[in-house]
Amino acid sequence: MTNRMVLAVLGSCAAIAWLAAPAAAQKVVKIGDLGSKVGVFEGYGKYQTMAIQMAVDELNAKGGVLGHKIEIISEDDETKPAPAVRKAEKLILQDDVKLLIGAVSSGSTMAVMDVTKKLKTIHWNSVSCAEFMRTTKFHKYYFSNQPDSRMQANGLAKYIVDKMGKRVYIFYTDYAMGQSDGRQFKTALEKLGGEVVGVAGAPLDTKDFSPWFGAINKTNPDVLFLAFAGTDSLRLMTQLHSFGMTKKYKLAGIDCFLLQQDLPAIAEPMEGFVQLAHYSAYNPDPNMQAFNTKFKKKYGVDANIMAGAYDAVLFWAAAVEKVKSFDADKVAEAQEGMCLDNTHIGRQCIRKEDHQVVMDMHLYQVKGGKNLPIATLAGKDTIGEAMVGKDPAEGFTWEIKKKN
Amino acid sequence: MEYLSGVLLPQLLHGVVFGAALGLLALGLTVIFGLLGVMNFAHGELYMFGAYAGITVIGLTSSFWVALVAAPLLVAVVGALTEVATLRPLYRREPLYGLIMTFGLAMVFREGARQIWGGGMRRILPPIEGSIPLLGMIYPKYRLFLLAMSSALLLAIWLFFTRTRAGIIVRAAVQDAEMLDGLGVNVPRVFTLTFAGSAALAALAGLLLAPVFTVYPQMGVEVILLAFIVVILGGMGSLGGSVVAAFVIGIAQSLLTLWMNPQRVAIAIFGIMIVVLIVRPRGFFGREGVLE
Repeated sequence: MTNRMVLAVLGSCAAIAWLAAPAAAQKVVKIGDLGSKVGVFEGYGKYQTMAIQMAVDELNAKGGVLGHKIEIISEDDETKPAPAVRKAEKLILQDDVKLLIGAVSSGSTMAVMDVTKKLKTIHWNSVSCAEFMRTTKFHKYYFSNQPDSRMQANGLAKYIVDKMGKRVYIFYTDYAMGQSDGRQFKTALEKLGGEVVGVAGAPLDTKDFSPWFGAINKTNPDVLFLAFAGTDSLRLMTQLHSFGMTKKYKLAGIDCFLLQQDLPAIAEPMEGFVQLAHYSAYNPDPNMQAFNTKFKKKYGVDANIMAGAYDAVLFWAAAVEKVKSFDADKVAEAQEGMCLDNTHIGRQCIRKEDHQVVMDMHLYQVKGGKNLPIATLAGKDTIGEAMVGKDPAEGFTWEIKKKN
Repeated sequence: MEYLSGVLLPQLLHGVVFGAALGLLALGLTVIFGLLGVMNFAHGELYMFGAYAGITVIGLTSSFWVALVAAPLLVAVVGALTEVATLRPLYRREPLYGLIMTFGLAMVFREGARQIWGGGMRRILPPIEGSIPLLGMIYPKYRLFLLAMSSALLLAIWLFFTRTRAGIIVRAAVQDAEMLDGLGVNVPRVFTLTFAGSAALAALAGLLLAPVFTVYPQMGVEVILLAFIVVILGGMGSLGGSVVAAFVIGIAQSLLTLWMNPQRVAIAIFGIMIVVLIVRPRGFFGREGVLE
């Protein structure tokens, strides 16, 4: 075989390979799903992945985003900040994701914010509630559609003081989320004329809460306000109930206290519990019902607050289409002030100043293992002023003010 | 009066319940200390094995009560095998060897559990559900059962050591193994059986506390520190001392939480231990010279 023939054969092989390749693969853009798959918040991570998957399937069915098929890379942070940072770096540097959604725990999310800031990556938070993300830790690429502690406190504190009782004991999970909730609720309650009779924090993943119960009983509050989430909430409620405390006090809790799916298992301890949330499968709101029907058809289970991750993908995709680019700076600017009609709760807008989605919330009361709506709180009333770079509860102290 | 029944009494009961369970754990530890001359660092892992063995047995038989008998027996076998294979060759060496060996065993056991049962948290549902009104308060039935069970076991162990020949032989081995050997007792067998018994006791505590504390590979590490404190306070090697100290720690911890956060109480308990170690290293009832 002459050299020329060899070249010709090789050349045609290369040509065939070149022709075959693009026919098989559409261009791909990757997005990162960083959630908790094990640990206290594993349930939230599981539903976050489902919500993202649903948005991605819908978009891909319509041709993807900017002609690219969207691919999800899921990572587990074990509900801890250190693995969260490691996985976020891996997602951005190795997988080259253009959007990162996560994490679940506020401690992890705040740690990941440093990574997305440094590596200039669009970062959506759809469940962490600490108040620092849109204030002191805020950066250009960070967006959130989870009502944070301040929004929740503004919404729930008034209901507690008006309808449940003035003497409140705040019991919180002792890390970023719970501390933030405790600060904001204490501030809001005291402003509204309520009396915080005691505060206590228990570490994340506490197994036995009974050592804290004595101090609660000592103050004999009207309302026991609980800032816990995930398996902590499950254990806490079971234990409170077994010591007769769910009957003795009125109980209220934060947005992410329990997922709808966990409710039936502890329906009896949760009876009467007042919880704040932006989503419930039992809310008759037509948008929520439409979303739930869609979700249930796909997965066979009801949707829950983690549906926010669905919106995160939609907002990002809409912004990418708008600027015709995956460039983080351009996408971030396009997202500022953006409104979408097709989110899981209908029309929503991102506030330009602190990248917070102005979300309506609802108060629910548990009856027979179901979260039934009792009041609606407009997002514009609870969101509060934008405080980028400032401490949202400046001058705060945990000190209990004695009332005579 | 309301303060007494609504606040003080429940706390006191918490303390007694926890103290009794802690006593079970500490007793096994203190007996092994008497025999080996070192703290058994793997004791917490035997406690953890008890809970996991319980989960396995419950999975097979769906009965907590069967597990309550079978799990300690299974762990006792593990304990006996461990003693023969790893600790027996070290008895004639310095106590430091045993210390390092048990420390290493603890790590092997912990990671082994992670491999077998996974790293996630598992739950054992309490076999007795519900609560009952008691002296003006409401208390979970299972915790009362825990108290009754632990107290009965502590009493049985006391009777074993004081009234039975086997118990007296173990005590003799703790005091002077060489002399016992000279009297014609098969001392290695006594050591193995005692180690197995101590493992069974730890396993029993692990399974009994599992419905309260849940089950995970790290569970032993978290509780064993407290058991060490109990043994040191009670006096190294003193059986009665351990039981007394377990109740003292349990009640002190529980009552202190009325005035400070339980996390700070945990620190305070360590503080107490440090003071005792400096002022009275032999603890409440310890023999002179053990740590001095």
